[in-house]
Amino acid sequence: MKVLSKDKLSTALNKLSDSAEVFVPMQKGKQSGYFTWKSFEEGQDELMLEALNVYQSPKNAVFPQTERIYGIASQGVEVNIDKTYEDTSANIIFGARGCDVKGIMAMDLAFLTKGYEDSLYKARRSANTIIANACYEPGPNCFCNAMEVNCVEPAGADVILHDVGDGYGWEVKSDKGEAVTALLADILEEKEVKLPAIKPFIQNVDYSGVAEKLKDMFDHPLWDKLAEPCVNCGMCTYVCPSCYCFDIQVKMWGEQGYRFRTWDSCMFEEYSREAGGGNPRGASKERFRQRFLHKLQFFKERYGTPLCTGCGRCMIVCPTDINIVRIIDAVKEAEINA
Amino acid sequence: MPDKDHKCTCSEKPLVPNIVEVIDIIDRTPDVKSFFVKNPDGNGVPFQVAPGQCGMVSHLPIGEAMISCTWQENQEYLEFAIKRVGLLTDELHQIEIGQKIGVRGPYGNGFPVNDCKGKDMVFIAGGIGLAPLRSFIKYCFKNRQDYGKITIIYGSRSKADLCFKEELFELWPQEPNTEVFVTIDNAEAEWDGHVGFVPSYLEEINPAPAGAIAVVCGPPIMIKFVLQSLEKMGYNDDQVITTLEMRMKCGIGKCGRCNIGSEFICLDGPVYYLKQLRDLPPEW
Ligand SMILES: Cc1cc2nc3c(=O)[nH]c(=O)nc-3n(C[C@H](O)[C@H](O)[C@H](O)COP(=O)(O)OP(=O)(O)OC[C@H]3O[C@@H](n4cnc5c(N)ncnc54)[C@H](O)[C@@H]3O)c2cc1C
Ligand code: SF4
Ligand code: SF4
Ligand code: FES
Repeated sequence: MKVLSKDKLSTALNKLSDSAEVFVPMQKGKQSGYFTWKSFEEGQDELMLEALNVYQSPKNAVFPQTERIYGIASQGVEVNIDKTYEDTSANIIFGARGCDVKGIMAMDLAFLTKGYEDSLYKARRSANTIIANACYEPGPNCFCNAMEVNCVEPAGADVILHDVGDGYGWEVKSDKGEAVTALLADILEEKEVKLPAIKPFIQNVDYSGVAEKLKDMFDHPLWDKLAEPCVNCGMCTYVCPSCYCFDIQVKMWGEQGYRFRTWDSCMFEEYSREAGGGNPRGASKERFRQRFLHKLQFFKERYGTPLCTGCGRCMIVCPTDINIVRIIDAVKEAEINA
Repeated sequence: MPDKDHKCTCSEKPLVPNIVEVIDIIDRTPDVKSFFVKNPDGNGVPFQVAPGQCGMVSHLPIGEAMISCTWQENQEYLEFAIKRVGLLTDELHQIEIGQKIGVRGPYGNGFPVNDCKGKDMVFIAGGIGLAPLRSFIKYCFKNRQDYGKITIIYGSRSKADLCFKEELFELWPQEPNTEVFVTIDNAEAEWDGHVGFVPSYLEEINPAPAGAIAVVCGPPIMIKFVLQSLEKMGYNDDQVITTLEMRMKCGIGKCGRCNIGSEFICLDGPVYYLKQLRDLPPEW
């Protein structure tokens, strides 16, 4: 197997960064997430390839927190769209875990299927290569195995890294993977490696039948109890690798400006508020229910796979200890008296 | 639903609008204006609409809103009847003829005009809710032989707030086998027509359900009571059609906010049979 020796890691990241923005998991000051290798500051920042999941997912590489859609020039009655902002410059996500790869697979379904292709997402994604990092030792919050993810061989990865101690086994999975491998021809070595043993999951989560059962649970009293602590802060949607909802806004300075989009959250009251003041999800509970039904039922119905990838982030960040695993358990256990 | 073969004119950039020129503006009521637009070179329109489809209309420096686009037989221009309710619509009401604005679309499924062929049509609208139904009504009159009796029941708060007065009082009542009923909420001088809310007027008129389809649009509270009245009158859930107005941003099933259950109303709707709505979570 090809191997990337760990002492050649920065050489490899430098090499890849010559032709692409390379997003790697790192601790940057108080932030942990995927940042570009070019922004890495030796001695200050810390590479986090060993950690299971950094705080922010790599979704910003293909779906930035804010991105411009088009430029506007407006003068009197005249108005022009002087530029659109599809970004096709190469980008690589290096070290994504299986759950985060699945997040991108889910966004591919949302942005690229069902009638319309989102041109901004399509541009970034077609210039994107995913080098995944296989998980052999799930953490205390992980449950991707229950959410249709194979964390050792994640579907959608172009290359899969396998941590073999002093290096990474380098498994090529696609043409895009071949292309980045060619860039590192001088750095990768051919070696015998022994892949680590797969450790069992700590959590035992059973999602089977949950999407189907939820169909009859929209008005179930359990939502009152489950939603009660939620303060609708939106943290869970922000850190989630597969939450993709966005808002569209405009910024103008006098006669020049641009329209842009930015991550939004179904947890916010304004998100679904209608002109005229009505809101189908005006109550906190209704927004809470929307988030978890979208994850566990609606997306599965529409696209065939759940929108939760089992990364465990939302339960770590939630200030009120809402835990999607306990929601799945509660749905499993709930009685439905029709 | 179309997968891939959608009919928008976005040239592969669905969030980027076409620039059009406002060629005419008509005051419909004190807070509703119709805007007529054409391509800036004066030739044609950026897209053709089917009855009940919408366009995302933008005053580019301000914002965008989903607006029903009036169907016209020879689609030489697009018409949007817009009520002033907030940030964007206030600004749109200030613009003058010649202004360039943005439109993208057409969005949504539109009314099932073919399914309804051979039926008696009962159109029930309140306020600006007549705007989307007007497309279907106009379509029926252009294809008059395809539809049975046409009954139009429309109400608004006051006489001044009645939209499309010329059609209501002059054009539509002259159409064959057609009746038009208009009501306002409270009595006022200069009004000798019916006074009262739409649902009770509907029950009074009581159009027979046999072989009929009712199409309903208006403020949520009106829709709610009209649906109850129709049920009482013997209309089945597959004889009632309505069009929903969730909050929308993208119009193409991506941004998330307009969903009810696993449906995105911008893409899969906004027009539904009541029967279909009954299968969705009760967020409409
Ligand atoms: C499928 C569909 C079809 C539609 N068809 C039509 C149509 O044919 N015609 C039509 O007129 N509309 C139509 N609408 C509704 C239209 O989209 C909304 O009225 C429009 O989006 C309002 O945009 P806005 O920016 O003017 O309002 P916003 O600024 O978003 O205001 C919305 C609401 O916020 C509140 N608000 C706004 N500004 C203030 C303020 N300064 N202070 C306090 N409260 C405030 C008000 O309650 C206001 O009603 C349709 C909607 C949908 C989804
Ligand atoms: S992080 Fe917790 S409290 Fe905040 S919106 Fe999500 S579930 Fe609610
Ligand atoms: S819902 Fe929570 S556990 Fe599931 S993918 Fe999103 S952040 Fe991870
Ligand atoms: S308006 Fe964005 S999904 Fe419907």
